[in-house]
Amino acid sequence: MTMEIRLHGRGGQGGVTCAKILAAAYARLGKNVQTFGDYSGERSGAPVRAYTRVSDETITNRNKVVEPDHLVILDPSLLGTDTVQGLATGGTVLLNTVDSLEDFAGQFEAFRVAVVDATSIARSHGIGSRSLVIVNTSLAGAYARVHDISLDVLEQTYRTLGLASNFPAAKEAFEAVQIRPASNSSPVVEPAPAPGALPSETVEPITTHRSSLPTGLQTGSWSTQRPNYVQNLAPCNAWCPAGNDVVGFVQAVGTQDENAAAKILGATTPLAGVCGRVCPAPCMEGCNRVEYDGAVNIRGLERWIADASPVARTAVEPCESPKRVAIVGGGPAGLSAAYYLAATGHSPTLIDGEAELGGVLVTGIPVYRLPREALRREVEGILALGVETRLNTQLGPDEIASLPEEYDAAILATGLQKLRGLDAPGADLEGIEQGITFLHRANIEGAQKLSGHVVVLGGGNTAVDCARSALRAGAERVTIAYRRTREEMPAITEEIAEAVDEGVELALQRQPVGFQGEGRIQAVLLAEVDMGEPDESGRRRPVVSERTSALACDHVFLALGQSADTSLLPEGWELRDERLWQGGEALRVVAAGDLATGDGTVTHAIGSGRRAAGLALQAAGVDCTPFERPDRTLAVPATDVRFDHFERREAACDQLLDAPARVRSTDEVNCGMPSGEEATRCFSCGHCTQCDTCLVYCPEGIIHRAEVGYDVDYSYCKGCGVCVEECPRKAMEMRTA
Amino acid sequence: MSIELISANHAAALAATLAGRANQAARGFGSGIYPITPQTECIELLCRQEFEKGSVVRVESEHSAMAVCMGMALSGARTFTASSSNGLAFMAENVYATSFYRLPVVMMAVNRTLGPPWNIWVDHGDTLMLRDTGWMQFYCEDNQQVLDMILMAYRVAEDSRVLIPAMVCQDAFVLSHTMMQTDVPDQELVDRFLPPLDLPHRVSDVPVTVGGLDFPRETEAHRKQFADTLVGVPTVYEEHQSSFEEVFGRRPPDPVVTYQMEDAEIALVSMGTTASTVARAVDTARKAGVKVGSVRVHMYRPFPAQMLRDALSGCSRIGVLDRNISLGLGGVLWSESCFTAPSASLVQSYMIGLGGGDIRIEHIENVLADLSERTQAGEPQIVEVTQ
Repeated sequence: MTMEIRLHGRGGQGGVTCAKILAAAYARLGKNVQTFGDYSGERSGAPVRAYTRVSDETITNRNKVVEPDHLVILDPSLLGTDTVQGLATGGTVLLNTVDSLEDFAGQFEAFRVAVVDATSIARSHGIGSRSLVIVNTSLAGAYARVHDISLDVLEQTYRTLGLASNFPAAKEAFEAVQIRPASNSSPVVEPAPAPGALPSETVEPITTHRSSLPTGLQTGSWSTQRPNYVQNLAPCNAWCPAGNDVVGFVQAVGTQDENAAAKILGATTPLAGVCGRVCPAPCMEGCNRVEYDGAVNIRGLERWIADASPVARTAVEPCESPKRVAIVGGGPAGLSAAYYLAATGHSPTLIDGEAELGGVLVTGIPVYRLPREALRREVEGILALGVETRLNTQLGPDEIASLPEEYDAAILATGLQKLRGLDAPGADLEGIEQGITFLHRANIEGAQKLSGHVVVLGGGNTAVDCARSALRAGAERVTIAYRRTREEMPAITEEIAEAVDEGVELALQRQPVGFQGEGRIQAVLLAEVDMGEPDESGRRRPVVSERTSALACDHVFLALGQSADTSLLPEGWELRDERLWQGGEALRVVAAGDLATGDGTVTHAIGSGRRAAGLALQAAGVDCTPFERPDRTLAVPATDVRFDHFERREAACDQLLDAPARVRSTDEVNCGMPSGEEATRCFSCGHCTQCDTCLVYCPEGIIHRAEVGYDVDYSYCKGCGVCVEECPRKAMEMRTA
Repeated sequence: MSIELISANHAAALAATLAGRANQAARGFGSGIYPITPQTECIELLCRQEFEKGSVVRVESEHSAMAVCMGMALSGARTFTASSSNGLAFMAENVYATSFYRLPVVMMAVNRTLGPPWNIWVDHGDTLMLRDTGWMQFYCEDNQQVLDMILMAYRVAEDSRVLIPAMVCQDAFVLSHTMMQTDVPDQELVDRFLPPLDLPHRVSDVPVTVGGLDFPRETEAHRKQFADTLVGVPTVYEEHQSSFEEVFGRRPPDPVVTYQMEDAEIALVSMGTTASTVARAVDTARKAGVKVGSVRVHMYRPFPAQMLRDALSGCSRIGVLDRNISLGLGGVLWSESCFTAPSASLVQSYMIGLGGGDIRIEHIENVLADLSERTQAGEPQIVEVTQ
């Protein structure tokens, strides 16, 4: 007794492999088997058949199967009377479809019908290529259930065929398949056509020529999946805490000009020139080009744009009921909040204790990193939108408490004002000072005079700023003592390198445990640190040893971190979830910047300020959607970028002043990049650039340029997935047709 | 030994691998390869094999593939290649050279229609184009035969009484891409069946000239030597059928395979897988009392004239079913077997399954009906079959 199974699928769906899985399962049950495909068109998407014969005797028949006992249909669009032609009455039709049995009521009643959504199952198990879902291994699982092949036999079969990883999907299909028995009142079954001669006149002569592509065959009906142009989240955008459209402005430099790029930047940040200088650039950490030939120099590009074209918005959006919002703190968070509020037609008031706006940008960051003209230019751009200011105004808790009455809402963006000290013997000796205090003095009062050996304790940007400022103030020797390794220093990598170039020494894995001196500091006592197991932050935990040595010095600056000073808050106020509360009731006061998040960078503060502006407006009764940082896990991974479509090219570096020249001046060390050429290195992850790769690779020639993006002629698209496979930047995906 | 569910393409690649490894004690294995549908799967698998001694060289054309085999064989390696259709046509010059150098190269050929217009399906015209090259040719009927015949081909080709290359032919897709359970023998058995190759005229440290110039007299002598050698091939073949059976427990097919021919008055003669379908039609017709049998020509070169003559001796009607066409004549097998038929018999040429048409049992029944009703042979006839 021979059983014959016919499979109907489309080129690329894996029909032949599916037939082989069935044959292998029957072989495992001790049967003689034979399996083969049609190999008709050898074209993706073309209807193809495959066959499996199962017998207790030796199989000598090698014809195609014309009167099958059972059918397996991989693509529901192939189901029709010609598909079931020759099928024995009572035979089983197993169909891959999203439809349920009810949808087939009154149809194919002469046959046993089984349905399963193998495509969804395969997709959920990630079976297929980068572009296409492949259903064969899932559908074979359903076949086993329908034809009483046990899961055990099936699992062994998959293992033998090297398909073990596909077995869970097969098992799911095994469990999900729905079966309807053949009805007894069977209608007439279409017989297989009798073999006969081909009518010769229907065969075209060999010499037939065509002046254009044959258009009669609408191959679009073959497709089970279709390409679509999509926009996916670029990692730079996902990583940017300010929420800048990084890929947008970088691409604008390459395809348009700096003005177009500045406009895109201005939508989210008023401080592009500042960020282009002092941002630690998380976007560059996320950049997929890191995995290829180095990140795009995004920070350099941002600066180049801001220096070439003013970034701030000039137009104010009209607003029906403008809100008055007080912003305490004129640092980057406060400035960002004011910018957003003013640009959307509201009335912000910036209140700051200093004489100049900018907060830490003025008091903390040295001028050789951030020239004050660059900052002032952007602050003026913000104020020009209509921001009221109250400078030299240090608010106490009582004044803060009355803000909710005076204004529609208030934002507290006071930053991190509490400085961490060091509880060690001799900490009160003269010559030991907080680094922030030194920087404030140096930045506000101008040139400081130092001499001798300066030791800076800490490893963040404040520590590096102190060290380099100390050199510029005349110190003969500067040493940074840090308890972990150089790689683990939180300061911006380039800043550390520049400091070392300037002559700053690093005493790594050194923990200060005491200070020596008679009234004035003479030496700092450093203990050697061993690196232990990783802690919750993933960094190795420092283990302070007993091995100590004294490092002679004349000054010590502490740069050990800062925290929010909640003593500024009025009595009974509580800070929770970026909001201020009193007695369990939410006040119309929100927190922004480091006070809210403690993330400690300018770019975080800008994002937080924009978010706080939205939250404050909500608190004042305005219907709006506050900014949220994007979900990094949704970003296009490097593995989805087709590196082979890009030439290797090194990143363009910023130009720096020579170390010997810069170290005794306050000139800006980093001179930026001479052009925006670097933008052309951007992969444009997840964003179509109209690069024409899809058009060039389409085997059918049916992708055409449109005014925006491309048109695909779906009447001829077979859904082969080549365009999606070849898209260099993951700006396309296949979806079920 | 293990039973594996594999295509005949893979069976061929595994056979070549086993044979190649069996020559490790001598000069190892060599292969020059170039892909062509429907042979590609075979050489892809061959490329994934590891050889302690020898290599598979990927070249830029079929012509070079055979040149690599020639060079390697001349230095004593056991060599293998595979091709098909237009690839064989391009290779042809070196196919001749290989046999005239008397090198025991084995080639697996997948029979495919020659184009244009392009067609990838089965037709025997490609290897029949090479029938006069001196190569031995075998046309297989199933997957196991493809594997077995590659081992047999080496044994016969390398026999010091023969030293002639051999072509093992199989039908495109019907065998090449059809997976069936196939017995893949252990290396140890193959080592036992295939002694290391000892090519008497192999080149070594002493320089020699191979294939110089022949004047008519030498050519006559060389052709005669070659022709006489081929006359002896059936005897050598039969000897090795027995040694194969001793080692592997199954006997490779005879040069001419008969089915239900003992008392047959009607014979249907064919090659390759057509014969499988013919045998099933014979079964049906026998039930209806028709004295019909099937004759499959397995060894086509050297042509087994006497065996065919013996098989057909009692027949009055003979239909020859060619899956090829010699344009301007008719079926090639028909034209060659006519002289082996009894003088009073009616011999009709049918060309069936040209270009890979799916030959079904009903088509053979139509042929049989036509043959039974004839009073005399007619023009060679093309039997059209549907896809």
